[in-house]
Amino acid sequence: ITRVKINELKPLKPRFEVPDVLVREPPTEPLSLLSQDENGVVLSLGAESQRVIVSARPFRLDIMEGRDVLMSLNSRGLLAFEHLRMRKDTHCPLTCILLFLYLLTSLFVQQTTKDEDDKDEDGMWEETFKSHTDGKPNGPSAISLDFSLPGVEHVYGIPEHAETLRLKTTDNGDPYRLYNLDVFQYELFNPMALYGAVPVMLAHNSQRTTGIFWLNAAETWVDISSNTAGKTVFGKMLDYVQGSSETPQTDVRWISESGIIDVFIMLGPTPKDVFSQYASLTGTQSFPPLSSLAYHQCRWNYNDQEDVKLVDAGFDEHDIPYDFIWLDIEHTDGKRYFTWDPHKFATPKEMLQGIMDKKRKMVAIVDPHIKVDSNYKIHNEIRSRGFYIKNKDGGDYEGWCWPGSAGYPDFTCADMRSWWASMFAYDQYGGSMENLYTWNDMNEPSVFNGPEVTMHKDAMHGAWEHRDVHNLYGFYVQMATAEGLIQRSGGVERPFVLTRAFFAGSQRYGAVWTGDNAAEWDHLKISIPMCLSLGLVGISFCGADVGGFFKSPSSELLVRWYQTGAYQPFFRAHAHLDTPRREPWLFGPENTALIREAVRQRYTLLPYWYLQFYQAHCTGQPVMRPLWVEYPQDPATFAIDDEFLIGTDLLVHPVTEEGARGVTAYLPGKNEVWFDVNTFQKHNGAQNLYIPVTMSSIPVFQRGGSIIPRKLRVRRSSTCMEHDPYTLFVALNPQRTAEGELYIDDGHTFNYEKKEFIHRKLFFANNILSSINLAPDAKFSTQSWIERVIILGASKPSKVTLQTADGQESQLEFEFDSSMSVLTLRKPGMNAGEDWKVMLQ
Amino acid sequence: MRFYVFIASVFCCAFADSRKIRGISSSYKRFYRERKSFLCIDGSKLIPFEQVNDDYCDCEDGSDEPGTSACPRGRFYCTNLGFRPHYIPSSRVNDGICDCCDASDEYNSHIRCQKTCWNLGQRERAYVEGQMRTLDEGLRLKQQLIEEGVLLWREKQAQLRELQQKAEDLHLKVEEHKKRKHQADQHKEQTLKTLQAGGAGSRQHNNTASGLFQFLDNNKDGSITVDEVQARVVTIHDEKRLLSENEAVALLGGGRQMDLTMFRHTLWDTLTKGDNVKIRDTNAALDSPVVEDPLLMAADRAAKWEATNLKKVEEAYETVNMEISDLQQKLAIDYGTDWEFLFLNSQCYKLQVYEYTYTLCPFNQVTQENTAGTQVSLGTWGMWAGEPKNQYSQMVYENGEPCWQGGSRTATVTLTCGTETALRSVKEPSKCQYIMDFQTPVACQPVLKQRGIHSEL
Repeated sequence: ITRVKINELKPLKPRFEVPDVLVREPPTEPLSLLSQDENGVVLSLGAESQRVIVSARPFRLDIMEGRDVLMSLNSRGLLAFEHLRMRKDTHCPLTCILLFLYLLTSLFVQQTTKDEDDKDEDGMWEETFKSHTDGKPNGPSAISLDFSLPGVEHVYGIPEHAETLRLKTTDNGDPYRLYNLDVFQYELFNPMALYGAVPVMLAHNSQRTTGIFWLNAAETWVDISSNTAGKTVFGKMLDYVQGSSETPQTDVRWISESGIIDVFIMLGPTPKDVFSQYASLTGTQSFPPLSSLAYHQCRWNYNDQEDVKLVDAGFDEHDIPYDFIWLDIEHTDGKRYFTWDPHKFATPKEMLQGIMDKKRKMVAIVDPHIKVDSNYKIHNEIRSRGFYIKNKDGGDYEGWCWPGSAGYPDFTCADMRSWWASMFAYDQYGGSMENLYTWNDMNEPSVFNGPEVTMHKDAMHGAWEHRDVHNLYGFYVQMATAEGLIQRSGGVERPFVLTRAFFAGSQRYGAVWTGDNAAEWDHLKISIPMCLSLGLVGISFCGADVGGFFKSPSSELLVRWYQTGAYQPFFRAHAHLDTPRREPWLFGPENTALIREAVRQRYTLLPYWYLQFYQAHCTGQPVMRPLWVEYPQDPATFAIDDEFLIGTDLLVHPVTEEGARGVTAYLPGKNEVWFDVNTFQKHNGAQNLYIPVTMSSIPVFQRGGSIIPRKLRVRRSSTCMEHDPYTLFVALNPQRTAEGELYIDDGHTFNYEKKEFIHRKLFFANNILSSINLAPDAKFSTQSWIERVIILGASKPSKVTLQTADGQESQLEFEFDSSMSVLTLRKPGMNAGEDWKVMLQ
Repeated sequence: MRFYVFIASVFCCAFADSRKIRGISSSYKRFYRERKSFLCIDGSKLIPFEQVNDDYCDCEDGSDEPGTSACPRGRFYCTNLGFRPHYIPSSRVNDGICDCCDASDEYNSHIRCQKTCWNLGQRERAYVEGQMRTLDEGLRLKQQLIEEGVLLWREKQAQLRELQQKAEDLHLKVEEHKKRKHQADQHKEQTLKTLQAGGAGSRQHNNTASGLFQFLDNNKDGSITVDEVQARVVTIHDEKRLLSENEAVALLGGGRQMDLTMFRHTLWDTLTKGDNVKIRDTNAALDSPVVEDPLLMAADRAAKWEATNLKKVEEAYETVNMEISDLQQKLAIDYGTDWEFLFLNSQCYKLQVYEYTYTLCPFNQVTQENTAGTQVSLGTWGMWAGEPKNQYSQMVYENGEPCWQGGSRTATVTLTCGTETALRSVKEPSKCQYIMDFQTPVACQPVLKQRGIHSEL
């Protein structure tokens, strides 16, 4: 990783540098000087003959490996730095001279020192947008830098945009914008800013993956251009045939409104390397409670406690599992968060206990806008402690949101955050219990009467303007909330907090969703690239509202959305207040059965999902992955975003077309095989496979060479399945080997950090399936056992022997389906946490 | 009539089987007789009997694991002695949640389940008895209401007939009054014509005595009267002044009328030769409105009177017709097979839920009123919408106030059996879609009586 930091040598006042996003100040290594001349130096980057060439005039940085330029900075000379300056008022028209007279007198002395080259332009010191005025007391302070990526035709990342996975060039339109906004009914395939911002871009070609992390929390724009973008396939072919010397290149330019240039260049070379390099900077995905990976039932709003009870009972009646039921803003007493409607939710603990009796949980919303009401404890405390964001005149900033007039706590302030966290204590948050978790919405922040429905840029967070910290606000809200949930349990329980706004590093605090989508087929489709893009930049716990938030889905769309959502990390159905009810059983028995089956598939795979999140937490690898991440040398995968991988072993191509009769899935991997998880049929890799589908089809494939543990006894909730036995699905590759992992812990505490878990490697080779301890120093015991082993692509053995840890051997019964080459071992029965071996003869 | 609670007692033959198969009902015991092997109930597979309930699913239909959670499609039988036995999905066996009141589903889990069947059974029996009493009472009340309904129906029918008779009478009256008005109108028209013709012909007929007589004899009865003189004769000095009755009588030779013979000898001379009176200058008469002519005015008054009378009668006729169509409309509504729902018509029932007061006026409309007093229509009477076997179990009110996101408010009212008629609950599960629970004796159905409870001891 190379960090390039550019700041003013002596700014008039400090420029904002983003705090709290990096997990630690990255350790620095001395660069050794390789050579030097009057115009520059060549420095060694240590590993792999990587060098950086710094040239002075014109200023540019070239990062080289061997003879190849990996990335050049400022090669187009777009480096710009609007240094802070004093306001010149000499050009002020006569009419406003009076207004600024008092300013003039105070500035007169200093004006003599100002830079003569600077010319004032409209909007430098004040801007208006619609009816809003931005004071801009610091004047222009933007920064910009360009990056050239030779050999690169594919760039990804910089979420959040409702956009294809592979980013488009922006030559003919607006740049991609990063500015957290509460967008009403967002448009698809559009570079407009949405709820969250992660200023991280990945560049990929078949040789190398690199990344750029632009650490700036102000409004940011990213322009992308490419020398091959305009070319047709034929044109590219012509280049190739004629041996055109021009190598493909992508150029990107980053512009931010304020702050400093602080950019991390991650050099890969593999996608996995980039992920771990980025994780070393901003941390990894928090390890969520197992139950939060199960199904969530949400709606704006479940009307009252009786409604909650009926919905809960409905799931049992229709035998559909769920783990979390959610309450939106209407559960509060007049949109005062941390309170309950005194009539509709009069006895919240009774309600929560009822849910707990079913081993289920609840999420209640807590938004960061606080009703201005002197009878509201939270408001009074924030006001009296001075924790509200201030307007430019020093008073508490007030905006309009759900409760009417509202204040916005300054979450950038550490004291505010710890106070906020303390509000989640059971004795502070009346009616809360340990199975109540939190949802932070509207934390862009959303200000209904603000410019672009957000906060005025000249609002003040202590010494900093909102302009400087805008994209960090939601990050801090979730950080403080997650901290609150940890603290209320004395640091024992893992939190679960969903956020709508996010920034780089938000992965450390919980889950995100793609905001207020709509019940349309295109919105279902876009949920895949939107979550893939988030996964690439560290945020793995991503989902879209199943069914679509706005509008009402057809039953076909709803079923397809459940089928897709069941294979995405955060699986929650949600609906707008004005839509008709859509609990899974309201669309006739057939659709109920289809939805039940999709949800059940999710539950059977929870051990695999949990393992993926454990690995994401340990390594920073994404859970939901684009194909190119696992097949980086296969250009056919580079633009695919209608199918995806979960971890390395499951390939999912959900049906996202209305009235689909079939889908064409690309099965990657030249020497690989893939097994249809429903039929166990084997398919070769590196091919486009047409799969006929019916309404019940969810095309999912298990990679040959993998072992996936499932729990097939689907119960009311994931917690009910805790002690259930596992079925191992062993899918053999052409070399007749396979491997996988099994991770077990208590599912909800931080005790795994104290080595209380089971982590095993499952390995099949030479006709022996064995379980090997990957963490011999960890201790945990489980009641779960292995009830079944299903080996796909097997041949019929004459005898199957189980050898347990104590060396005892026993014969196992088995069944062999020769038509599909599926071997099923009946009830081996060994404990899932122990060493064992199964030998096929 | 009395209804009885049947308590069926089944004595379990605890020692009939050498080994108890967990999770099956007695009726399924025959499938699980201990032999060497077990045939899956769907016949798909034969397995060793040891594999029954061994916590591994062998049968596709789940029949080999009635007592464990091993089979995804399996079911577990809760015997629930003292309460109602029932099946639960196998997935609820040993899941740490008590489902069977006899605690039989959690035989191998950390949770200690209370055996609650006896209490539940008692409560259930009490509940069922309560229900039965309610049903008894409800049906009794319903019978009353049916009788009342029949009476009401008859009353309404009688009312309708009465109204129809009234309408018929009024119809005749209207016809008669139309005729009368027609005559009056004709008379008025004639008077007007004569007047106009008279004005034009006065000079023509002035030169002969009979001509002038004819002219003066407005009603053509062969004699000139005081009125007729006053109408056409004026003094020379003051043409505008109407002759007084005395003056007219004087002109008529002291009598109130005069025939042509007498006219020739008296008035004719006075009119033609005298310089005292003359025939009103018809040109001047035409200048002033003809209406001033007393004859015409009388005719006009008569015509107006008849018109007013006709209008009154017509209005009365219309009102009655409207009443008839109202009543017919009401009577066209389906009030149940025995008109048992008829009494609800013209009634309204209120219920306050949180900040709203809901009012259900059956067969009419449903409204919602907030604390500020703003009233919103949730729909007007639409139709019965219950299941085909009992369509009278649900009402739909539709086309209420439009909703913000399109469509209009609707209210679905479910009728349940109770001893009182009252609105019991109102919910709005989705925006603008209201569901109401409406209790009334007339919703009580005798079929409910068959529901009973039996307990196994």
